[in-house]
Amino acid sequence: MSDYIVRFNLQQRVEHFVTMVTFALLCLTGLPQKFYQADWAHALVGLFGGYDNTRWIHRIAGITLAVSTVVHFSKGILIMLSKRQYFSMVPTRKDFEDAILQLRYYLGMTEKHPRYDRYTYKEKFEYWGLVVGNVIMVATGFILFFPVQAASIIPGQFIPAAKVAHSNEGLMAFFVITIWHIFNAHLNPDVFPFDASIFTGKVSRERYQHEHPLELARLEGGPPDVRGQDAAQGHGTDRREVG
Amino acid sequence: MLRIVTALVLAAAAVPARAGIPAEQEDCLGCHTDPSMTFDLPSGEKLQLGIDQAAFARSVHGEMLRCTECHTDKTSDHATGELKFKSRREVTRAYYEQCKGCHFANYTKTLDGVHFAVMAKGNDKAALCVDCHGAHDISRPGQPRTRISRMCSTCHPKEAEIYAKSVHGRAADSTADVPVCTDCHRAHDTTDPRDGALAMRTPEICGRCHTDEKLMARYGLSTRVVDTYLADFHGMASTLQRGHETRPGVQLAAVCTDCHGVHDIQKPEDPRSSVMSANLGKTCAKCHAGAPETFPRAWLSHYEPTLEKAPLVWGVTLFYKLMIPFMVGGLVLQIALHLWRVVVNR
Repeated sequence: MSDYIVRFNLQQRVEHFVTMVTFALLCLTGLPQKFYQADWAHALVGLFGGYDNTRWIHRIAGITLAVSTVVHFSKGILIMLSKRQYFSMVPTRKDFEDAILQLRYYLGMTEKHPRYDRYTYKEKFEYWGLVVGNVIMVATGFILFFPVQAASIIPGQFIPAAKVAHSNEGLMAFFVITIWHIFNAHLNPDVFPFDASIFTGKVSRERYQHEHPLELARLEGGPPDVRGQDAAQGHGTDRREVG
Repeated sequence: MLRIVTALVLAAAAVPARAGIPAEQEDCLGCHTDPSMTFDLPSGEKLQLGIDQAAFARSVHGEMLRCTECHTDKTSDHATGELKFKSRREVTRAYYEQCKGCHFANYTKTLDGVHFAVMAKGNDKAALCVDCHGAHDISRPGQPRTRISRMCSTCHPKEAEIYAKSVHGRAADSTADVPVCTDCHRAHDTTDPRDGALAMRTPEICGRCHTDEKLMARYGLSTRVVDTYLADFHGMASTLQRGHETRPGVQLAAVCTDCHGVHDIQKPEDPRSSVMSANLGKTCAKCHAGAPETFPRAWLSHYEPTLEKAPLVWGVTLFYKLMIPFMVGGLVLQIALHLWRVVVNR
């Protein structure tokens, strides 16, 4: 039995890398346009070589993200059509139950920790948040990129509305990533300081048992490991047992 | 030492106490009051040597300056019949430098002005102090204010004519509420309007009056025009372009004057106005090539996006006003609970 699990294949790692780089660029070139009266906004725009350059970098990064979103979904649809693999990101009833159980666990109302499959409800939330956000950002972004063409096919008021949506959705995405994603991938005590799995693709079997027991059991063809079901997935508990 | 003081006291006492203006204390006016007294310059021009004493006495300097304070190189025996100047312009250029002796701050400002810049490039007609202020007949500038615009019009007649027909120019004679040339262009450090730097300042220039509650109330005009402009795409873009890329050839974001006009600004309901609804499409198309007839509807016309004026924009704004705190608050709360449980487990 291997001591690590391959959680992400090369394509998924590349997709994450592209999203990460384009997202960072979009924030660095987009937020100054939202907070254009701040000194740091002018400094950032200066760093990118002026406003025109900043806008072009923003547009190119945006188009790259749009293309990667389309590629990702084409691939997902193909996989679903071929029925070779179930689409593990689809939210299920269990996710809602997991979320409630997880919150009850955090509140100390139960010692029972949810046992997760391939993706936890948190990961699914972030994934679908990103998908919805991307669709909004790409649609409104193109309206703002081509206002003249947009105005000839949709009512004029959609253009200022698109600006408000693009600006606020972008800010919300920035908050979700800087607060939620940075916590889960870096500051979360379970992975601190850095969960490298999305770059290496690998997660130790021990951690997998801790974080995704249901998927691990399916991968290894056995029944779910039920040892210490109540607390094995709890935070900071199994480490103590191992140590 | 004592001898010098005594001589000075005696000299002062010798001057008739009733002298009208200090200039009379020198003997200059003994000769230089005859208007027909001229000097033939090599350029063929006649340099008038007599001055209008009454006009000088009325001028701002009349009660202050003696002739030699500006004409420093002149002595009582200068009437040799020779002048080193070839043309009247040379005379003007030679004496304008005298102003800086007292008016150093304004002189220094002119060094940043477009008139000085074009003069440095060899334009002999570029305005010097005396071209605008006059020489012996200098009076307080801006009395009346319209004199400023008339002064500029002597060199800039085309612009002056357009301005005179504008909403500002038409009212200039009857009220001090409207701008004259220098209110926008400045007097001494007049900005070159061709390189975009002046255009980039227009939200601030126009805003000086158009955000003044008292002034705008007199005409029933909105004071939110600058804020609503800045909140929009053009205002954002032009703010970020400030201080960068103001060289010719770089397309700058639209500022006030790009839509409303410069010297030809009219009320928006005036059929001549570039922002009147029937003309607005054409104005947008100046930058947005191929803009359809409906394109101006993408612009909120300086209105704030209220439920009545722009329900969609209002709705989207409200949605995010609620959504962002809800989302961020929810996530932070969950992180806090998570960490709390980690601490409890230890």
